[in-house]
Amino acid sequence: MLARIAQELFWLGRNLARAEHTARLLEGVFQADLQGRPEGQASATTLSWESLMHIMGGRRDREVSDGRDAVLDALTHDPDNPASVVACVTRAREGASAVRDVISAEMWEAINTTHLRLHGDDFVPRDHTGHYDIYQHVRERSALFWGLTGRTMLRDEASAFLLAGGRIEAGDMVLRMLRVALPDLPDGNQADAQALALLQAVGGFQAYRRAVPAPAHAKPVARFLLFERNYPDSVAAAVDAVNESLRTADSHPRASEPILRLSRLSADLEFRRSAETDADLRVTCHEVQRELGRVDADIAQRYFGGARAA
Amino acid sequence: MSEVDTARPESAYRPAEGYFDELFAADGSPRPHARALAAALDELGPSQLVDAGRRRDTIFVQQGITFDTTGEDGPSVERPFPLDLVPRILPASEWTHIKRGLAQRIRALNRFVDDVYHSREIVRAGVIPWRLVVSRSHFARAAHGIRPPGGVYCHVAGCDLVRDVDGSWKVLEDNVRTPSGISYVLENRVAMTRLLPGLFNKYRVRPVDHYPQLLLAALRSVAPAAEGEATVVVWTPGVLNSAYFEHAFLARQMGVELVEASDLVVRDDVVYMRTTDGLQRVHAIYRRLDDDFIDPLEFRPDSVLGVPGLMRAYRAGTVALTNAVGTGVADDKAIYHYVPQMIRFYLNEEPLLDNVKTYLMSDPDLMQAALKRMDELVFKPTGESGGKGVFIGPATDPTTLAGLGDVIRRSPDKWIAQELVRLSTMPTADGGGRLVPRHVDLRPFAVFGETISIVPGGLSRVAMIEGSMIVNSSRGGGSKDTWVLEDGEDRSDDTAPARPESLPPALPDLRYGAWTGQQQQQQQQCSPA
Repeated sequence: MLARIAQELFWLGRNLARAEHTARLLEGVFQADLQGRPEGQASATTLSWESLMHIMGGRRDREVSDGRDAVLDALTHDPDNPASVVACVTRAREGASAVRDVISAEMWEAINTTHLRLHGDDFVPRDHTGHYDIYQHVRERSALFWGLTGRTMLRDEASAFLLAGGRIEAGDMVLRMLRVALPDLPDGNQADAQALALLQAVGGFQAYRRAVPAPAHAKPVARFLLFERNYPDSVAAAVDAVNESLRTADSHPRASEPILRLSRLSADLEFRRSAETDADLRVTCHEVQRELGRVDADIAQRYFGGARAA
Repeated sequence: MSEVDTARPESAYRPAEGYFDELFAADGSPRPHARALAAALDELGPSQLVDAGRRRDTIFVQQGITFDTTGEDGPSVERPFPLDLVPRILPASEWTHIKRGLAQRIRALNRFVDDVYHSREIVRAGVIPWRLVVSRSHFARAAHGIRPPGGVYCHVAGCDLVRDVDGSWKVLEDNVRTPSGISYVLENRVAMTRLLPGLFNKYRVRPVDHYPQLLLAALRSVAPAAEGEATVVVWTPGVLNSAYFEHAFLARQMGVELVEASDLVVRDDVVYMRTTDGLQRVHAIYRRLDDDFIDPLEFRPDSVLGVPGLMRAYRAGTVALTNAVGTGVADDKAIYHYVPQMIRFYLNEEPLLDNVKTYLMSDPDLMQAALKRMDELVFKPTGESGGKGVFIGPATDPTTLAGLGDVIRRSPDKWIAQELVRLSTMPTADGGGRLVPRHVDLRPFAVFGETISIVPGGLSRVAMIEGSMIVNSSRGGGSKDTWVLEDGEDRSDDTAPARPESLPPALPDLRYGAWTGQQQQQQQQCSPA
């Protein structure tokens, strides 16, 4: 298939996944922030708003204060902030326009409607509701889009790139959240409360409860989100999914750098899973994220004609 | 604050005369801890409140957060759990007092249950007549001689509190069998944060969502199994039970199986559940059935909700039940009368929380005196819960009262009379979003595992009908979110970081795909690589 189309699909998946994960993250942090400290806890419980801005990468080019409302605005519906939920959806929709012949009509409509409603009057943020409606909208529509992808799109190269994009972004977002929310593993209460907030934000609370007998403290949660292949949104599951997708798309998987790198990363995660030391978790997150970045560069190199991500 | 008075609009909230209002003083000005809330509500206005109410109903119906109510003629109707959007606020110091009083009470009740099924010290000391204990409908002979781990019987307790007209807290009733309502506490809080997050802006409210973890830890601590290997289940009578939502909710939050009787089987005095992988041993059961139904071999033989042989396993110590068998003797309303003495007897302390003045009808003199004042007192059957069978004298017509008098004379052991408590009121939204005073009580939830932990606040139940004091949800009552404030109540400015700032690690910038297509008109701001 055309390299350009493959890239569009890849980034369509990425932008949509980014929108959804950002929405989930903001909602989770917002919920946790509304309430105070549980009894017996000395320190505050949530991701700070400044941390959120850091999750979105590096320094800030604009004057965004760290107050809750400012950060929420910047990351939710500021069209000029490329990391905002609305901006991500807009880009996704533009990407979908470029590939309308490849994706099914229902998929296009799903994205288009998502985008249009966000720019309509439905989501005038009211002080007393916050941005909950936007987050819910994005979450639901994302689920719809991926559901339609699974139902109506031919399982070929095109869908492979779309899925690869979605999953690699998911992995990257979870790693970002882990690295920012749990910087001081295994520091007692503060990290624990953040871990719980994080888990609920990504929607993995029930899954965690069923999979892990330990209470939702920082270390088991981090391990769950990193290594639990049976949880669809874990980093390990994301890595496997990207690997599998690329194998579908690539005619010579054994010669493919990104595929080789992913296979090695997958095995590496299994090794790290068995190792027990806490300190390694932070290092693991850092290294895995770096490796995923290299995978991304390899993908661009191999499939998109060397069009590097900016 | 006369300026405020004259400036207050017609629609300002007027507390009911002769009752203690939780949020407003008698002159109509908000109490100190409620000022910010009152201002926020004013700003919100009735129409927005109604709006939020509609959204709440939609959310609850969609999520299936419902409760069965007993209709006038009996059949139950499933309806969205009624949550009034005006929260109740308890300052930290007030909560500390309540917490201590409850912990003390629960400890005493627990000792009582243990005592009653073993050496009966309190009976020997002449504090409580044995005849009274043994005649309680929930006294369980089968529990005699069994001591669960740690001597803890009342793992989950919900004692109902009311605030009298002088502002003091009193315990209205104890519930140590299968108290319910915690799921609504948790869901109410989530709903409030979704519907009216602005209200939280001025307060630091203690979270409540750790309850399932507390319960799970308690269940694990009593399970006869090695650390981390205990299989814990929630046992529900089934989908048709009025509190089914809560059973499923707790099972899901704890990540454990929700079982019905047909899933459980006892072999060789060990309890198992039927799984796709064969029989799997069960170590601890959070049961939401009364004792009467749990084992047809020892209790009601006609119970299809029970597991034959369960008591044998329980006696053998191979399975833990929470709450333990036989706790019902402690929440009988006649026994309630003796709780202050229990506290003195077992703990050597004075009760921190008072009882409501209660008269046992089994005492002939007290019965005579009470029957002369039927229109002033409240009459309750001793073995019921959920407000069933309660007669509020001043609100009942004379004919019914006469009939009740006959019933009481025939079986005085089964009745008590209490002085009417002038329940406190709270501003509650009526159909048009205007705030009107309605009576409330409070049911905090306590988990007794290794220690007693009480979830901050609890379920504030409100009688939705003007003047009514029946707050039970099964009789049409509503609820409110209950906020316990942290010490140092006022929320400091958002901009001042109250937390130790640890620098997050340097993260790679987000990547953005390079665009080459001509149809892209928007200039993308890409962060430099």
